[in-house]
Amino acid sequence: MKPLRLPAARPGLADIAILCLLGGVIATVVAFAREFQAPFAQAVQIDLRPSALPRYTLYSLSRGVAALVISYLFALGFGWVAAKSRAAERLLLPLLDILQSIPVLGFLPGLVLGLMSLFPARNMGLELAAILMIFTAQAWNLALSFYSSLKALPQPLRDACKVAGWPPGRTFRQLEVPAAAQGLVWNGMLSMAGGWFFLMVNEAFRLGDHDYRLPGIGSFMSVALDQGNGRAMALAIAAMVIMIVCVDQLLWRPLVVWVEKFRLDESSDGGPAPSSWVLDFLRRARLLRRAAVLQRRAYRQARRAARPLERPFRAVGPVILRAPRFAFGHRIARVLVSGLAILAVAAAAVWGAWRLWQLLAQLGWADWGQLASAAALTFVRVMGAVILSTAWALPAGVVIGRSPRIARALQPVIQVVASFPAPMLFPLVIILFERFGIGLGLGAVALMVLAGQWYILFNVISAVAAIPQQLKDATTAFRLPRWERWRVLYLPAAAPALVMGWVTAAGGAWNGSIVAEYIQAGGVLRTTRGLGSLISDATAHANFPLLAGGIALMSLVVVGWNRIVWRSLMEWARTRFGYAQ
Amino acid sequence: MTPGPVLLEAQHVTQRFRLPNGQNLEALRDVSLGVCENEVVALVGPSGCGKSTLLRLFAGLARPVDGKVLYRGRPLDGVLGAAAMVFQSFALLPWLTVAENVAMGLEARGVDGAARRDAVARAVNLVGLDGFEQAYPKELSGGMKQRVGFARALAVAPEILLMDEPFGALDPLTAENLRSQVVDLWRDPATGVNTLVIVTHSVEEAVFLAGRIVVFGSNPGHVREEMSNPLPYPRQERSPEFEEMVDRLHAILTATLLPEPAPATPQRLVPFPRVHVSEVTGLLDHLLTRPDGKGPVFELAEDLGVDYDRMSAVVRAAEQLGWVTTPGEIVQLTVTGREVMAMDDAARKDVTRARLAKQPLFARLVAMLKEGDGTVEDEEVLADLTIYFPFIPAESLFATLVEWGRYAELLDHDADGGRLTLLGWEGAAEARVE
Repeated sequence: MKPLRLPAARPGLADIAILCLLGGVIATVVAFAREFQAPFAQAVQIDLRPSALPRYTLYSLSRGVAALVISYLFALGFGWVAAKSRAAERLLLPLLDILQSIPVLGFLPGLVLGLMSLFPARNMGLELAAILMIFTAQAWNLALSFYSSLKALPQPLRDACKVAGWPPGRTFRQLEVPAAAQGLVWNGMLSMAGGWFFLMVNEAFRLGDHDYRLPGIGSFMSVALDQGNGRAMALAIAAMVIMIVCVDQLLWRPLVVWVEKFRLDESSDGGPAPSSWVLDFLRRARLLRRAAVLQRRAYRQARRAARPLERPFRAVGPVILRAPRFAFGHRIARVLVSGLAILAVAAAAVWGAWRLWQLLAQLGWADWGQLASAAALTFVRVMGAVILSTAWALPAGVVIGRSPRIARALQPVIQVVASFPAPMLFPLVIILFERFGIGLGLGAVALMVLAGQWYILFNVISAVAAIPQQLKDATTAFRLPRWERWRVLYLPAAAPALVMGWVTAAGGAWNGSIVAEYIQAGGVLRTTRGLGSLISDATAHANFPLLAGGIALMSLVVVGWNRIVWRSLMEWARTRFGYAQ
Repeated sequence: MTPGPVLLEAQHVTQRFRLPNGQNLEALRDVSLGVCENEVVALVGPSGCGKSTLLRLFAGLARPVDGKVLYRGRPLDGVLGAAAMVFQSFALLPWLTVAENVAMGLEARGVDGAARRDAVARAVNLVGLDGFEQAYPKELSGGMKQRVGFARALAVAPEILLMDEPFGALDPLTAENLRSQVVDLWRDPATGVNTLVIVTHSVEEAVFLAGRIVVFGSNPGHVREEMSNPLPYPRQERSPEFEEMVDRLHAILTATLLPEPAPATPQRLVPFPRVHVSEVTGLLDHLLTRPDGKGPVFELAEDLGVDYDRMSAVVRAAEQLGWVTTPGEIVQLTVTGREVMAMDDAARKDVTRARLAKQPLFARLVAMLKEGDGTVEDEEVLADLTIYFPFIPAESLFATLVEWGRYAELLDHDADGGRLTLLGWEGAAEARVE
């Protein structure tokens, strides 16, 4: 056996930085755990002094990270099951499609009430509700990403692992997860940004006469808005930006560089390899290398210590494994198990539908009429927001995507700006609009633009950046005028991605309508008619039948529109403008 | 080495797949084949004949829909531990080093610690990869990667080595070099591998390596013929015996790929080979440069740099158009073929149109079009093709029909509207007037 030599023990700057970071992480975890366990109190006092802000920021960050961890676990399980079982696939994929597009914010009241009744005396229920709400904004695209990575895995690689006799667990760890790593990290980045969107609502909202508040950057901002404290608002926004930049630099950049290792196709896309100063810095640290050696040593010793146990375990293992193996191997058992599973799912669905029906049955014709007209108004606003976003994001995306230099320079900036939760700015924007005499009826459209525009911009940039150089050369060689170049090359090439962007932007706008049409700032409530304000209003007055009706209607409109309009548009754009021949 | 008792056996095996469009594709029908100890068996045949499918069945990577696979007389249950596999695409995990890739199969076989390191070192040494243990696959050339593939297979000291076109993705020089090494490995008692099954596209490769060559036919995949190859190892590729063997295999393959046309039954639908117009005219152009305008199909394939499978499809298309005949494995330009090549483009299209109208499949399509007042939906044609040719992916056959129809100005296709229209049909005009 090769002796493992410890690298020299003299600590460097990198080691000190790592130790500090480690200490910070531990302190945050401890503080957050204490917050979690704290006794529950109505309308917690939020301290608006700047000195309190770092603690609040770390609380919010902890919620986001906790939700991300849960999202990853969910995505791995969900994606794996959907990719492995055809029956599950048929059920889960449409489900994912619906979950992705419905306004999850509407479920917050139900979730809070349910979890609060589970943990009435502690903060835990409220905290869990906040984390789960962030989770619902993060999980779906991760699950979809893992599922499609599994589906795209080349058959020979799977065969090679099977021939090598790898058990499913090892194939999962060493083939399936690494092959999906790139998609999981990129989507994790998007998820994290998406998770912040409703931060303010998640951390501070009123349900009837209850005022639920959790210490965090979102509740800080919301209290600052209530009191009209401009300095505190500016501080909250600054803290949010700093947090996003730090997460990007300390977590995502290094991860993005690191997962380059797990690329399946060897052709690089020509651009320079991404780099991260943090990762370079960490790689210089002796501490990590030392930890790796120690870990390997510990592993060897553990193996040696466990050797006497190995033989009995080998004898017992098959006995323990027999039951599940029987359950999956035997036809009747398999039919029984899957039958039970289907029955359970069906029963849950029927129960849910029944409860929903009970709620909806309390609504009269007048209520439905009100809901329908509000939905029509919000629909018009959503479409307006999509058109407005396209009007600026399409040309901007083409200009940025066309030039690798501009794209490289702007990408990080845009990423940070796009991660910023737009609802935090809504009240400020509305106050500004009021100065110019624009009411919320129109102003809400602008807010919905804030909520959806980035999807269009990102999609267009990446589509235009992916145009083969030879096509660009051809338009140059034949000296096409500028407008012609856009007409025959850039716009058609961006078309499929643009439609994809519309789908997500419209989804973001619908979601955003819940906070955009109902705004509380400086102690004044501003509302405008619409489905979003109807939902917010129903929440504030604990009018559950109306809330259920609003959510159901919004889900129906969004899913229906996705199915009927967006999907056929997407199909058309793909066959008409795709490169694939 | 003389062949021993039967090691692996497929008995009346049938395998089916479901295509994404819902079509059921039969990859193998009632195939029986035994592989004996100390034997090298090559499976050859056109693409889509199910030879790779059979290899996966042997490895226990899939279960047949019908029939069974036996190892030493006992039915396979899951992956066959006595076998190792080498893949055309190498199938190396890019995030593992060469040594880790080679060690992939060892843990499951209970080889641990020092024994594992020894096994890896031995396998790496056998394929000449010493010094590359800590490299990642992306740092290696194709030939080196396939060496890793072989080392991974040899590391587990398998009884049977299954190879799925192992040299298919390599350049000719590298392939040649690796091929002779495989023979050395097989004859070297130190490797412990004494039975090889290889799927290949290359006739020379099969004759170079195998003691028994099994020729598959397609639609659905079945065993056409077996040929034993008693040439002593190591084989000399330039020797007359070798060339004779190659010629014999060529003849068998030609009979499979270019069957003599059945006695004329005009009602029977024949699929049109899925080749492009430019490929057929390219073949005719090439034949014009040859003395007497003829040549053996395998020589043509080699000269034009396409595999024989593709070549024979092109030849069959040219034959259906009456531009070549195929006595045995010779492709002969016909008088019409010469005339066609001398014509200008417009005249050539006219001749093609007249010929296509007589081809049973095109004739049926034209009849469908006339019935539908000169137009018919894509869906209808696709459904029709699926019924008549369950073994051919309907979309790809449809694309071929459209290409030839457009070339001959017989019909046009509206991709946006999803329908075909018949060109120059008065019926359409009349219908419009009424």
